[in-house]
Amino acid sequence: MIRLMVTSSTYRQSSIFTKEKLAADPYNRYLARGPRYRMPSWMIRDQALFSSGLLNKEMGGPGVLPYQPEGIWADMSFGKIRYKQDTGNKLYRRSIYTIWRRIVSPTMFFDVAKRNVCEVKDKLTNTPLHALVTMNDISYVEAGRALAVRVSNEKGHKTKINKMYAFILGRSATLQEMAVLKNSLQNFTAKYKANPKLAKDYLNVGEFKAPDFLDKVEVAALANLALLILNLDESLTKE
Amino acid sequence: MNPLTEYYQNMTRRQLLKNCATGLGAATLANLLPGSANAANESGSAHLPGKAKNVIYLFQNGGPTHVDMFDYKPELIKMHNKVVPESYVKGKRFSTMSKNAAQAKMLAPLEPFKQYGKCGAWVSDLMPYTGAIADKLCFIKSMHTEQVNHAPAISFMLTGSEIPGRPSLGAWLSYGLGSMNENLPSYVVMTSVSKGTTCGQIFYDFYWSSGFLPSKYQGVKFRGGGDPVLYLSNPKGVSKEIRKDMMDGLSKLNNIKKDAVGDPEISTRISQYEMAYRMQTSVPELTDLSNEPEHVLDMYGPQVKERGTFAYNCLMARRLIERGTRSVQVMHAGWDQHRSLTTELYTQCKDTDQPAAALVKDLEQRGLLDETLVVNGGEFGRTPFLQGDFNNRKTWGRDHHPYAYTTWLAGGGVKPGITYGASDDLGMNAVEKPVHVHDLQATIMNQMGVDHTKLTYFFQGRHFRLTDVHGHVVKDIIA
Repeated sequence: MIRLMVTSSTYRQSSIFTKEKLAADPYNRYLARGPRYRMPSWMIRDQALFSSGLLNKEMGGPGVLPYQPEGIWADMSFGKIRYKQDTGNKLYRRSIYTIWRRIVSPTMFFDVAKRNVCEVKDKLTNTPLHALVTMNDISYVEAGRALAVRVSNEKGHKTKINKMYAFILGRSATLQEMAVLKNSLQNFTAKYKANPKLAKDYLNVGEFKAPDFLDKVEVAALANLALLILNLDESLTKE
Repeated sequence: MNPLTEYYQNMTRRQLLKNCATGLGAATLANLLPGSANAANESGSAHLPGKAKNVIYLFQNGGPTHVDMFDYKPELIKMHNKVVPESYVKGKRFSTMSKNAAQAKMLAPLEPFKQYGKCGAWVSDLMPYTGAIADKLCFIKSMHTEQVNHAPAISFMLTGSEIPGRPSLGAWLSYGLGSMNENLPSYVVMTSVSKGTTCGQIFYDFYWSSGFLPSKYQGVKFRGGGDPVLYLSNPKGVSKEIRKDMMDGLSKLNNIKKDAVGDPEISTRISQYEMAYRMQTSVPELTDLSNEPEHVLDMYGPQVKERGTFAYNCLMARRLIERGTRSVQVMHAGWDQHRSLTTELYTQCKDTDQPAAALVKDLEQRGLLDETLVVNGGEFGRTPFLQGDFNNRKTWGRDHHPYAYTTWLAGGGVKPGITYGASDDLGMNAVEKPVHVHDLQATIMNQMGVDHTKLTYFFQGRHFRLTDVHGHVVKDIIA
């Protein structure tokens, strides 16, 4: 049944909102277009891990404690229980293996059920607090850097950028997009060149280390661009 | 979630306006419009001309002892060490610790009371700063609730239901009235606890939940350590300028996508990202106390600069409402003195008395008290009888007591310098003009310009509201 649904032409049709389709079926009640919605936060994290090549694909086994800002568990328990973050490969397991405390969900899963009442699915809300997570959480910053390293063998900015686009979005950038991306990369590079310490700091967020022989300014700038791409509406959305 | 509700939530403003005859009520319409506070009042059958624009709820978590602080009972002093008269407790349910309270001994208030101000309100020597502003306060001494344990009682007070999962007062207000500052959350929660407390009540996030309302109405908890808002700071190695470059690039690329795909949700995403970026500036500005004059800081007491204290949170509450945050919920735990009345009650009072009073004075001096309703109270009171060994003063305590307790209000169009309702001569039961939890909720909403019977949300087959099917506005305390 599910196979029938996902392989149907209705499900597989484009999610582009044409004027005609929007007028005929503004709420997609009659399935005039394909579905388009923000992915749940756990999936966004998995995507970042996967596209950056950091993902630990091991299945089963005990849960893990990935990156989380300090003091979350302590705050909720008057200091009695503290979060002891895992290290190494455990940081990169799929979101499904993340340990939850009953009273406080992992902070990077910004849309999950609060476990106070029965909820059958995650909420598709869109708030500034979500944006802060995917721009500032260590997991995403680190994934951006891993992506920068992953494309470091490619020649020239255009190829590197297209490769990152391919890893995250499964396509190359359009000419129009490439102009914006190149411009952003130039801006990042100029700023890190002017302040190499900043670049060094950026390379130290999270455990994953960029190889020493790579140019730090270049990696930091590319890593910022990767973080930008990870935060595109298209990256956060299932289309 | 109900697909129909979800469909309404995902509507764009244009779609909504086109369909609003069949769509949502005035309250939610207001929410989707810019500058929605006015829009709400103009559009609304659901809205009253409210006096208050903001509410600050100083929630004293744990069941503060009314008979030791505000509810002066000379008879209780006379009855000290005598067995509680059966007629007062007969048929009543207390916590499992006190069971039916038979043979319990009465315990006089720990400290003497004095009369304060023109209104002559009796306040304990434990709360001298609150006493000093008695003429600005409205004491409700006939509060009563239905719950006898902390989490259900707090949930009942803040969400209208003892079972977690309903939207809290602040969420209802954000939903019904909208936001007044796009760069700060409209509903903020801060928590604190006195040092050295033995209390074990944690702050559950269902105390500021949005329940079945969309999660954007959930209270945003400002933390006492680290970033005040989670993930607020840029990662190390990202300067303001670099982040600005990233936002510019992001916005350009998202706009290209919007033109190609036409999904209105992308416009929302662009504006949410911009808001996140602005919040990264507005929150540090909010928490920067360097421009607060020394005399104002002094007023809040010695802990005012220490993050995670009640004093700091009270000052922050004022700064938040000044900047347009609608509801601030300041929660302070540690009032649960089962066996520590003679020690911990003193710390609790010391930590909360001065800052709470300072907040009221500070608001008044800035001309903000008229439009800001301050509520100070807990989830229930404490038993006028003793818990512990009478011969060992160190173990003295009081148990949970839902049948009478005191809450005070200030500003927001509530009459100053009055006492409303009363408990009996031992502070045991609310006998004169009893005010139920739902009545207080209805009154707070009324002062905020919301008719508690009309602000509803359709969920699981029926319309829900904060006060369920109960609640009467306490008209006599309204100025």
